[in-house]
Amino acid sequence: MLRIDRRYFHNFDWILLALLVGISGMALANLYSASYPPSPWGIPPYIKQCYLFLLGLLGILFILCFDYKELHFWNYPFYIFIILLLLFVLFAGNTAGGAQRWINLGLFKLQPSELAKLSLVVTLASYYSRKEQPEGYGLKGMVGPVLLTGLPFVLILKQPDLGTALMLGIIFVSMTVFAKVRWQTYVCGIVFGSAAGVFAWFYLLKAYQKRRIETLLNPGKDPMGQGYQILQSKIAVGSGGVSGKGFQEGTQGHLHFLPERHTDFAFAVWGEEWGFAGSLFFLTAYLGMLIWGLYVAMTARDRFGVFLSFGVVMLIFWQAVINLLMILGLLPVVGIPLPLVSYGGSSLLTTLLGLGILMNVRMRRFQIGQNKEKMK
Amino acid sequence: MKWSGYKDLTEITEHNDAELDSLKRRIFFAGLVILFFAAIIVGRLWFLQIHKGDEYRNRAENNRVRMREVAAPRGSIKDKMGREMVTNRPSFNVVLVREDSSNVDELLKKLATALDLDISDLWERLRDASNKPKHIPVRLMEDVDWETLAYVENHNQEFPGIRIETIPSRVYHYGNLAAHVIGYLGEISKKELAARDTEIYTGGDLIGKMGLERLREADLRGEKGSSFSEVNARGFEQQILKNVEPLPGNDIQLTLDAELQKVAEDLMTAGDKAGAVVAMEVKTGRMLVLASTPVLPIDQFVGGISHKNWDALLDNPKNPLINKVVQAMYPPGSVYKMVTAMAGLVADVIDKDTVLYCPGHFYFGKRRYHCWKRGGHGAVNLKRAISESCDVYFYQVGLRVGIDRLAEMAHKFGLGHKSGIEMEHEKSGLIPTKEWKKKKYKKKWQEGETLSVAIGQGFNLVTPIQVCLMTATIANGGKQYLPQLIEKVTDPDGKVLSRFEPVVLDELKGEKRFLPLIRTGMEEVIQGRRGTARKVRIKGLTIGGKTGTAQVVRLKQYKHLKEEDIPYKYRDHAWFTCYAPADDPEIAVTVLVEHGLHGGSSAGPVARAILESYFGERLQLAAEAEAKTKKEE
Repeated sequence: MLRIDRRYFHNFDWILLALLVGISGMALANLYSASYPPSPWGIPPYIKQCYLFLLGLLGILFILCFDYKELHFWNYPFYIFIILLLLFVLFAGNTAGGAQRWINLGLFKLQPSELAKLSLVVTLASYYSRKEQPEGYGLKGMVGPVLLTGLPFVLILKQPDLGTALMLGIIFVSMTVFAKVRWQTYVCGIVFGSAAGVFAWFYLLKAYQKRRIETLLNPGKDPMGQGYQILQSKIAVGSGGVSGKGFQEGTQGHLHFLPERHTDFAFAVWGEEWGFAGSLFFLTAYLGMLIWGLYVAMTARDRFGVFLSFGVVMLIFWQAVINLLMILGLLPVVGIPLPLVSYGGSSLLTTLLGLGILMNVRMRRFQIGQNKEKMK
Repeated sequence: MKWSGYKDLTEITEHNDAELDSLKRRIFFAGLVILFFAAIIVGRLWFLQIHKGDEYRNRAENNRVRMREVAAPRGSIKDKMGREMVTNRPSFNVVLVREDSSNVDELLKKLATALDLDISDLWERLRDASNKPKHIPVRLMEDVDWETLAYVENHNQEFPGIRIETIPSRVYHYGNLAAHVIGYLGEISKKELAARDTEIYTGGDLIGKMGLERLREADLRGEKGSSFSEVNARGFEQQILKNVEPLPGNDIQLTLDAELQKVAEDLMTAGDKAGAVVAMEVKTGRMLVLASTPVLPIDQFVGGISHKNWDALLDNPKNPLINKVVQAMYPPGSVYKMVTAMAGLVADVIDKDTVLYCPGHFYFGKRRYHCWKRGGHGAVNLKRAISESCDVYFYQVGLRVGIDRLAEMAHKFGLGHKSGIEMEHEKSGLIPTKEWKKKKYKKKWQEGETLSVAIGQGFNLVTPIQVCLMTATIANGGKQYLPQLIEKVTDPDGKVLSRFEPVVLDELKGEKRFLPLIRTGMEEVIQGRRGTARKVRIKGLTIGGKTGTAQVVRLKQYKHLKEEDIPYKYRDHAWFTCYAPADDPEIAVTVLVEHGLHGGSSAGPVARAILESYFGERLQLAAEAEAKTKKEE
């Protein structure tokens, strides 16, 4: 099984690889600029991110060695492993900013909640691809997926990491709608969803989370508190103008006006230094990657392949949209990174593994007889 | 592979083509959703960067809203009775914000002349901070007096970029009392910063470096606040826009009694004695006194200790930096005889009436082992052997019991392993066994060595807290408590986060029936006619105890000298350990005086003073009552 047929090499997804390397290159350059002035201690973030990028490429290579269909088998063990990790961080993880999210691995701090996103994509893809429902899923069919999503959702919410938990919810909704559900299910989902939202607002959300949402609705009310981050981010992007201030010339980031400038707000540094033109260039590449991902789904040879690639695209797409809208001041600050661009080992690895799955689906888009015979 | 519901992969590849096609049609809609959001983002970018680009560029250039961190007041430390030992006061630092000063060179020159400072020192501080962003303040002077503060505030127009920073700093209400317990603060080092969460700590923060300040850093530090202010083009703060108040740290109440601790430290310091004083409640494990002398001058550490003072601490032969309660090991000397006695009773090689003859020496192998009393004690039983500390008696008991059973009993009394008290770098001491010697020296155990060990010399090493723990275990009937020094931790709202709870580490089983015998001997040490610590007697209080003399070196050349003429560092260490009241013990006190020569005369009075202070009120009442009845008669 590990022996790779030469035809696979022929079918290798060079386009996706090129897009991914190009985007990561821009991201690393941006990170280099954002981490100036260098901190006198520790490895600079862009070096760390380089290592992790290489590690991620190795991960992709590893994934390509197996037929993606094997994920049907490894899906639940992986899922259970992630749940155990989530339980572990909840009780013994490293605390940062009042939230328990990390397991320290030396080179980087593993955030199991990032891996949980990918795990959910694979799990739901496996679930929906196995049970064909031409009429669409009824309420009964929803029990499984809801439970599979709910467990990590609750564990992540408890950390507390509202952003990532919501991300799981969004993945669930995207993939479920894609799998087709009956209209009764829609009605129930909407009613239940809004009830849960109202409940959450009054009982679950912490004061600071509510403040962030209120700030967005009324930014003038609190310009120095929660509004500060959004305002500084808007100033950074806006002051970039048409052509930007130039590489390493951004003032917002370097003078520390911009918070979280190499993590969640990394794109604000890009926008400030490269302006509208640079941003457009970057977004085109990013959009290209997503559309190409959908094309991979189109050309997949089976249902599982379609669901997998669709799920991975949605995973990257929704995070990117939420992150960018937040930086541009259209969404509250929720702590969701821009995949491939924001500094953070767990997010980068998860994204690269997801893209590895996409390449895998693309590479095995044709039925290769020899493989099939061997299976029998 | 049962969990997947498939037997093998081929089954998965079979599918319904029509269904697959309808699925793929839906991908098309997903593409539309992606394009829709892409359009929103591009539109928004156009709006911010092109439509409003000039406006934002302007705002970026005039961005003068700055966030500054506000240090949180650390939690206070109180004693058992709630007396404040350590709190905070505001202290003022002169800082420079480089970004706000156009001509740093001239500014520093002016400042140095005005305040009579060493300009090279100022430059060095700036160089150290050269890696930091320019808007982060650099400290030029720490903890300045009111005069300097007033001068800088009044002349701030002349010093653009110079600011006063207010931070809480430590006040020690009892001076250096319990310095080794409390510890001190210092500026966070790069190494410490690298190991910590950067969301909580930043360069320049104070962090606990020793003692509870370090061990309970997480409790004491609190949460930083922030202050947003508007600065003008010259760097002066125009107005504070918003303050987020810092959250003070949690308060810690100790089990220590500041008054008792003071009695101990004052007496030790007055006699220029180096050593340790430990007192604990025998039925709970609460530590009442944890003193190590010479005391550590923690007040010198506020605002950073000077090189001169630090070197003086390092060079002091009496090692003020070492917490002798747990970090220094000494031979136990005669206080170890309780272990030998107990081991003999448990092994049934002696009983309370066993009489052994002491002619002043004991022959074993080819050597003659002396008793400290050259004339000999004559016929002694257990009670006399303890009260008069007869070496010959214990040589023989030790031989009969054997080294390994001695060691076993020592561990049951808390010797030879760490007590687990919340203090740094605790030493475990050393209780030798046959196996230990084989491992360490690759040599067989010599029976003659058992003799030395039986009277507390030889390889034996203990820490003062272990001896106190042993005394408490004998006094309370065989329970070994975890020594604890924190009564409770409360948050700033007064909510109790944790409260003292006694912990029993080990307990003697049937053997505890022998403890009263040991105690009778120990009571005789003080109350007896020939006891070695008769000086410790207190009217109205029965005390049990034991003296000890720990040999430092055995040098013939000093033998003929009078004790006062022996060089300080070759003099014997003096031990005294005791408990009271004898009929229902409450407190155990252990005193070690380094090179103090005799337990009874050098260490004893310190223990006596602590007991007098602890039982003071009760003793007075009893004395008054007695006087009254006498009068009536």
